[in-house]
Amino acid sequence: MARGRSKAVAALAALVVLVGAACSGNGDGGDAGGGQSSKPIVIGASLPLTGDFSQPGGAAKRGYEVWAELVNERGGVTGRQVKLTVLDDASSQDTVVSDYNRLITRDKVDLLLGTFSSLLNLPASAVAERNRMLYVEPAGGAPALFERKFKYLFFAQQATAPHQADVFVDWIKGLPADQRPKTAAYPTQDDPFTTPVIETMQKALEQAGVKTVYSTVYPPETSNFDTIANSIKARNPDLVAQGAVFEDGVGMVRSLIKVGFSPKTLFQTSAPSNSDEYSKGVGEANTEGVFYTVSWSAEADYPLNKEFVERYRKKFNKAPEEDAADAFAAAQVLQRAVEAAGGIDQDRMADWLHANQVDTILGPLRWDATGAPQSDFLLAQWQSGKSEIILPKDVATADSAVTPKPDWKG
Amino acid sequence: MTHAVQTVILGLLIGGVYALLAAGLTLVFGVMNIVNVAQGALLVLAALLTFELWRRFGLDPIAAVVVTTPVMFALGWVIYRLFVARIRTAPVSMTVLLMFALAITIEGVMGLTWKNVFRSVTPSYGNQSFHLGPLFFPKAQVYGCVTAVVVLGALYLLLTRTWTGRAIRAASENLQGSELVGVNIRGVAALTFAIGVATTGAGGSVLSVLYAVFPASHYLWISRLLGIVVLGGMGSVPGALAGALILGVAEALTATYVSTRWAVVVFYVVILAVLLVRPQGLAGSKLREDVAG
Repeated sequence: MARGRSKAVAALAALVVLVGAACSGNGDGGDAGGGQSSKPIVIGASLPLTGDFSQPGGAAKRGYEVWAELVNERGGVTGRQVKLTVLDDASSQDTVVSDYNRLITRDKVDLLLGTFSSLLNLPASAVAERNRMLYVEPAGGAPALFERKFKYLFFAQQATAPHQADVFVDWIKGLPADQRPKTAAYPTQDDPFTTPVIETMQKALEQAGVKTVYSTVYPPETSNFDTIANSIKARNPDLVAQGAVFEDGVGMVRSLIKVGFSPKTLFQTSAPSNSDEYSKGVGEANTEGVFYTVSWSAEADYPLNKEFVERYRKKFNKAPEEDAADAFAAAQVLQRAVEAAGGIDQDRMADWLHANQVDTILGPLRWDATGAPQSDFLLAQWQSGKSEIILPKDVATADSAVTPKPDWKG
Repeated sequence: MTHAVQTVILGLLIGGVYALLAAGLTLVFGVMNIVNVAQGALLVLAALLTFELWRRFGLDPIAAVVVTTPVMFALGWVIYRLFVARIRTAPVSMTVLLMFALAITIEGVMGLTWKNVFRSVTPSYGNQSFHLGPLFFPKAQVYGCVTAVVVLGALYLLLTRTWTGRAIRAASENLQGSELVGVNIRGVAALTFAIGVATTGAGGSVLSVLYAVFPASHYLWISRLLGIVVLGGMGSVPGALAGALILGVAEALTATYVSTRWAVVVFYVVILAVLLVRPQGLAGSKLREDVAG
């Protein structure tokens, strides 16, 4: 009796397995048919929602969500709705690897989107490459990412870290000879995103005849900039260009004010783009004339940018961060690739992106064979308590730059 | 020349602030033989409290000392009664573990309350300096140093001029002996610990003006403070003052004349050098167990 029942159970189990396999077989067949299926496209990503990068990670997630919402309202991608699966990698290189492995092998997502920071994208993009899946990442411009010459990796900003300030160097070179700085100081944080920017700038400006009078690479733990500002003051440079992540940018300005030194031109990498926090940190009056480069501006008149800003405000009740816009742009690149390839074919999508330009809310983006972008950042400057775009001209919000920078207001 | 003098002045001003930050750590070690590795976390907590008072009520960060000091004193008392008192007789390593667990807990709570972003208090004088000829003295550092002198002075008077202070010192020199002559050891221990934590009130308030802090910055601060206390001699308040001034100047000189990369390493190099050459530090005396060992 017992034996008979267990036989029946085994037969039933076998039947279930067979039916299950048949169903999933059908499903796969439908997908391969080229986006005819009405099933949603599942897009997987792992983001640093907790840990060191939780702020930008959270912003990136919101950027992806706004994109998905806007796209689904407009009928989806190639007629299919999109669905996001976002995991939390806790800002850990180990977790991000297991997350992307899980998304690919267990969750069997249709498409991938990248994570945040060079640190995390470096191992995560290798997982995607091994599995031959397109990997568009919103923030990770360190040269190391592109030295590996991956086929499926694309960085969805205008330029890699070393070329982030090219637009500022061009602006300096374009100044009349008597207004061009003669000497420069280059303090930079020891950070994979700031050091290359400053190194490239220093080389380019030295070639253009700007003499380096001071340079230092300070560790991320540095929190008091009085001694550095004091050394800069002693050298009296025309230009101070700082590789600043955030709080070190605020700290440097406050120390320069304390030591009583106001350079004719002040450039900082990322710090001044954190609009509210930056102007509160240094005092709004002291922001006047500070230059920086940035990947995105809420004011830039690129297609869909206005819709992005409005929807973000409505959904999250605050102004969108640059990190959120970068994520939105990465998703736009992915979307365009699917549309151009006429469905989800990872190789066809990668080939198409290598050969074509994509319009995003950051402006038009295009890539070389390694996935490194080939455009320019926006040159921005603080004017009358607001950040204005100076270059490129077609989206500029200010007629001219404030130069020289006025004295500190204390 | 002006540049060098200015660098030393900046170093001394920061050193004065370091002394304030390190005072509580060395006091608690001297009296109770507890290395309070949570001191850095408590310091950051006091800095964030100052930030909150400033943001909500516009309270000046230096004036906030009168609020943060009693709050931190009370917190120190509670921490002692709840946790430290239970393992008073356990080996030193156990207390280090306990305090480390406490530091991580405080870090987590701060992360939930204030998020993992940099916070700093920016009163109008935060960017200003006093000028004397070609030299400048950043106002915030000067106020910080004055606060340090006041708090360290008060601590010194408390330890040398009051009965409570004498009881604390007696307990630190000979536990059994002081108990024999009628010192309430448990009360003194709780009081000492609470006073040690209370110094983070003033320290944190000054810190919030001079540095941007976020929950995990306590690791940086506790390692700096340990460097100061080890150099000065574990347990010696005047030693901590000397150690703080020396390290403040050494850090500024290294940043200016060697490299900013090496400036943050100064503290760790000093810890190693002192332990190798003069384990008792500048002002510390050899303990009986050291001699026996």
